[in-house]
Amino acid sequence: MASITPTLRPLACSKSILRRIRQQNTAVRSMMTTTYHRTGFVPPPPIPGAPHVLRKLKAIAPLPSAANKIKDPVKAFQDDQISVLDPTGARTHLFSRKNPESAKQGDILLVRLKNGDPFAGVCINIRRQGIDTGILLRNQLTRVGVEMWYKIYSPNVEGIEVVQRAGKRARRERLTYMRKPKHDRGSVQNIVLQYQRTRGPASGSTAVKVQEGLKGGRRKSKKGRK
Amino acid sequence: MAPKLPISCRAHLNPSFILPDAFLPLTAKRGVKYGWTTAPARSKPNRFNQQSAGLPELSMSPAAALKRKDFTLPLRTGALAVKKGMTALYDPETGKRTPCTVLQLDRVQVIANKTRKNHGYFAVQIGAGWKHPSVLTRPLLGQFSHAGVAPKRFVAEFRVKNAEGLLEVGQVIGPEWFIEGQFVDARANCLGKGFAGGMKRWNFKGQPASHGNSRNHRTMGSSGASQGSGSRVLPGKKMPGNMGGQRVTTQNVKVLRIDTEKGIVVLNGCIAGPDGCIVKLQDAIKKPWPVMPPPVEAVKEAAVTV
Repeated sequence: MASITPTLRPLACSKSILRRIRQQNTAVRSMMTTTYHRTGFVPPPPIPGAPHVLRKLKAIAPLPSAANKIKDPVKAFQDDQISVLDPTGARTHLFSRKNPESAKQGDILLVRLKNGDPFAGVCINIRRQGIDTGILLRNQLTRVGVEMWYKIYSPNVEGIEVVQRAGKRARRERLTYMRKPKHDRGSVQNIVLQYQRTRGPASGSTAVKVQEGLKGGRRKSKKGRK
Repeated sequence: MAPKLPISCRAHLNPSFILPDAFLPLTAKRGVKYGWTTAPARSKPNRFNQQSAGLPELSMSPAAALKRKDFTLPLRTGALAVKKGMTALYDPETGKRTPCTVLQLDRVQVIANKTRKNHGYFAVQIGAGWKHPSVLTRPLLGQFSHAGVAPKRFVAEFRVKNAEGLLEVGQVIGPEWFIEGQFVDARANCLGKGFAGGMKRWNFKGQPASHGNSRNHRTMGSSGASQGSGSRVLPGKKMPGNMGGQRVTTQNVKVLRIDTEKGIVVLNGCIAGPDGCIVKLQDAIKKPWPVMPPPVEAVKEAAVTV
């Protein structure tokens, strides 16, 4: 308690008195010994002389998470799609690195489409991106070099066949040097026609057919191209 | 400590003598020397501007601000997700290829609710991921333990329109919160470009590559007029500087797939941010609010009764 001071006459108006009283009240409240707890938790009264120990906070274990189980959801999502688009696994097998009979860069491939003319060409690039794996085929149609990318898992692609294997293993992954006149294979039409003639009704050992919908693929390519 | 009036002086004032608050002068309430108080804040002058007295509604008030946002605030909360990468979706029938972004939800839970009464607006505080308690401060740990959840790595608020959008604290939000085919707004910090030059940052045209140009191919050139323009560079002049790393909202992104097993939401196209960044997903404000399908249990019960 403050020492007793001599009685002071209130100054000016009651405004200043009330202001001072309000200030005193807030100061008095700050000296309160009892506290009100929102959570209802009342801490035990402090023991004089004992060191202040922080109360233990409830440690809650984390929930099981799908993110921990599946660390690469993009790959898992792609694998789900591949199982639908390539149920037999034939397309994956055709371009698998583990497959010694796989289609490689340098081979001549024929792609048959659901909507459109089939396209054949030298495979100069295989871009492996999971479901977006694509092949770049180069051909010359009436002396004009044409390169086409095809996604191997696209539903529009009916089938991919290996028309001719490269004689010698290419010494690099991307064969873009084939764009130069010195290394350009030119048109592969003759090779493709010969392959289709020799194939006949029996399935050749070199041709890897895809089982989904083989209808008139041979006949389509016999149409004259302009 | 504030000087105390003697008891005799205080006794002069009858406790029943109370001036209206409006008459009292404004004093500092939160300064350290005045202490703090758990008493409610002094009443606002709003009580004098009542519509019942015939006065018009105030357009600059918390109530008016919330009313303005009635049309744009979503009805329900969103979720925090981690951007995992981009891939493509093929339609087996048409053969169409759609590029898409895969986002993964990781232990998304409600941590707290913000209410109009206590905070002036309605929002749901969401947490995602997990953080080791040893690297968190005690105040944060206390906040998580009060909510009854494990410490979260990411915390964000999702504003909602009204109290109906608030959820129970601790509720888990999974990918099934979103519906396939609905539209969402995706908010994330875009890729940072560091200190970018004028051409990259502001699409300046640069200068010729040759014809005598000397070491000034990508420079700003002039930074403004001379004496006529104030003999200075005007404030706000576009110049090289830090670019990127800011929040970017991609609106009306369609949800293509939901997979609760993997905890993923697949969105159409691309969204801001690098792989691994945290993304805020919420119902698109420029599209009709999604209508959640009725819960499966209710449907089964109805079938049984029928």
